[in-house]
Amino acid sequence: MTLVMVVDDDQDLAEMLGIVLTGAGIDVDLVSRGDEVMDVFHNNPPDLVLLDVMLPGLDGIEVCKLIRAESMVPIVMLSAKGDTQDVVKGLEAGADDYMVKPFRHPSELIARIRTRLRRTNADVSGLLTIGDLAIDVQAHQVARGGKQIALTRLEFDLLVALAKEPGRVFTRDALLSEVWGYRHSTDTRLVNVHVQRLRSKIEHDAEHPEIVVTVRGVGYKAGVMGGS
Amino acid sequence: MGAAGSALNSQLSAGIKEVNLNTALIEARSTIFTAEYRFLLAQGEKDSVVQKVVDDVISSATTLSANENAREVVFKRSPGNTRENNYEIASNLLDPTSIPATLSERVRKTPDLVYQYTNMNYLTGTRVQGLAIGQKVQIPNAGQYEMYIIFSLANQGKTLDLISRSFFLTGFLLLFLVGLITWLVVRQVVKPVREAAAIATEFTAGDFGKRLKVESQDEISTLGLAFNEMAESIEKQIARLENLSRVQQRFVSDVSHELRTPLTTLRMASEVIHSSKDGFDPIVERSAELLVAQLDRFERLLEDLLEVSRFDAEVAVLEAVDFDIVLLVQRCADDLGLVAKERKTQIYVNSTEPVIMIKADIRRVERILRNLLSNAIDHAEEMQIDVHIVASEHDVAVGVRDYGVGLDENALTRVFDRFWRADPSRARTRGGTGLGLSIALEDARLHNGELEAWGRPGRGAHFVVTLPRNTWERIDQRLIPLQPEDYKA
Repeated sequence: MTLVMVVDDDQDLAEMLGIVLTGAGIDVDLVSRGDEVMDVFHNNPPDLVLLDVMLPGLDGIEVCKLIRAESMVPIVMLSAKGDTQDVVKGLEAGADDYMVKPFRHPSELIARIRTRLRRTNADVSGLLTIGDLAIDVQAHQVARGGKQIALTRLEFDLLVALAKEPGRVFTRDALLSEVWGYRHSTDTRLVNVHVQRLRSKIEHDAEHPEIVVTVRGVGYKAGVMGGS
Repeated sequence: MGAAGSALNSQLSAGIKEVNLNTALIEARSTIFTAEYRFLLAQGEKDSVVQKVVDDVISSATTLSANENAREVVFKRSPGNTRENNYEIASNLLDPTSIPATLSERVRKTPDLVYQYTNMNYLTGTRVQGLAIGQKVQIPNAGQYEMYIIFSLANQGKTLDLISRSFFLTGFLLLFLVGLITWLVVRQVVKPVREAAAIATEFTAGDFGKRLKVESQDEISTLGLAFNEMAESIEKQIARLENLSRVQQRFVSDVSHELRTPLTTLRMASEVIHSSKDGFDPIVERSAELLVAQLDRFERLLEDLLEVSRFDAEVAVLEAVDFDIVLLVQRCADDLGLVAKERKTQIYVNSTEPVIMIKADIRRVERILRNLLSNAIDHAEEMQIDVHIVASEHDVAVGVRDYGVGLDENALTRVFDRFWRADPSRARTRGGTGLGLSIALEDARLHNGELEAWGRPGRGAHFVVTLPRNTWERIDQRLIPLQPEDYKA
């Protein structure tokens, strides 16, 4: 069974989320305070965290940073604010995805959760290389010169998506559908923030990226490093 | 002042001339009287004695005390005097022609004193202004002569020069003083007034922190203090109003946010109910459907309210990206295709170019387009909807034309007002929020663009949005005429 930790201070909403998720065959751990998250997290590590931004005790952004500091578990933020600053803050704190309340349909939430839990790229086998990075898709590992680089699941998926079709230019919309499972979204902030985070981990110089290259006015592609 | 000065000057010099004339006349009278008396006494004497008397008369008349003007004496024989002895003489080398002929004529006609201004020409070449006074005299053994005394007016000229020079000097001094006083007045009065005007201008421009400097203790400072008090009061009022509207906007925004959490729960609950509605009683089933539909509507209203509160608080932010507006229009038209079909209308999109790239906030542009299209569908009355896209180098325009109910004059002025409905009696079948067009207008303006409406009752409506292709610029021209080309009045 998959376990999702739901962190929300609104009892009714938390209960409703529980009902919907349980109905979809997902186990749920309910937490109502920000400062209680880490204890529950340690005792019963979830497969995914559904995290509200405004929480008593410790706010969602801080909780997100704490989780990220020790785990690569997928985090989906729940926010009552659609304002860019809040969304970007959550993504920068390490969230993989976010959903703005109220969600269109509960099914949308479940689809989003499943996308994050799904073993993406299961079809891709063996080793991929991008620049001077070696990617073991099955083992979910990225290494440079034998040295492991820790990536979140989402960052890994993003890197693999680019690496498996070297030279193809991905529009932001294409990446949104490929990596996030959005069918029809124009929210390019998600892509921009995650590309930045990914670059900060894998590029030699994030200011002059060579692995994830921007194609102006279009999107991104896997870079071909000179000599490698 | 110059005129007054010169009038005074000429009056004064006239006075001086008159005094000089009178003095000269008195002197001349007494001299001539003395001469006549002495000639009378010399009656019957020898010629040598008479000659001596003449010499004496001349010397006593021309001997000057200090500060006295020069005087000369001239004896002329009267015409018709044919006596042998000749005493014609002019003192001190004065040219006898200095006596004007006109004066001589008058002397001959009257026994009285006669005078005339003239120039005194000396044989040495000197020439001064003078006053000639003459009278007939009888010289013993020599008959009738004309005796003239000529007073030099050289000193008088000097005096007049001095006076007019002092006048000029005084004039200049006065002018300077007037200038100085004017300057002081300007400094004391005009400068603070000008400052007040400048500060009032800044006030109008929105800088409410400006105050006048009050340094002195006069009427001007009273004005300054009153002005500052007014400024203070205005600033307070504005701050109060700003705070009030901030609080209100904050409240709207908070309410919208606070409503989201229960709304999320409601939505999920209604979806759970709705998804299992098939087993329900038809009444419950229909109720579940209505619940879901109304929650949708409630949510749209909430979104719109939140957006409006962002515009009001001026915190709406543009997130510009490059995209193809033709594709976006096509996508919106496709998305609304089903709704259009339900209302028995169809949307036709045509563009002058297959691809028009613009840099703008795609979310907002999409919202403008959806609002215009939804509005057109609502009012199309089963007639088609035409969408035109026209681009220039600099701008892009999208026109949405329907041929339905249209808008009258009054409706046109209010169509962008919040919660305004064209016809209150019309059923709100589509469940729009009533905020769509007003948000669309704000979205267009945020892009430095414009959204305009045209309509005639029964002849449909035409909404045209014009945007700069690069959002930071301003639109140059309207690419689509607001009055549709197909419309004939």
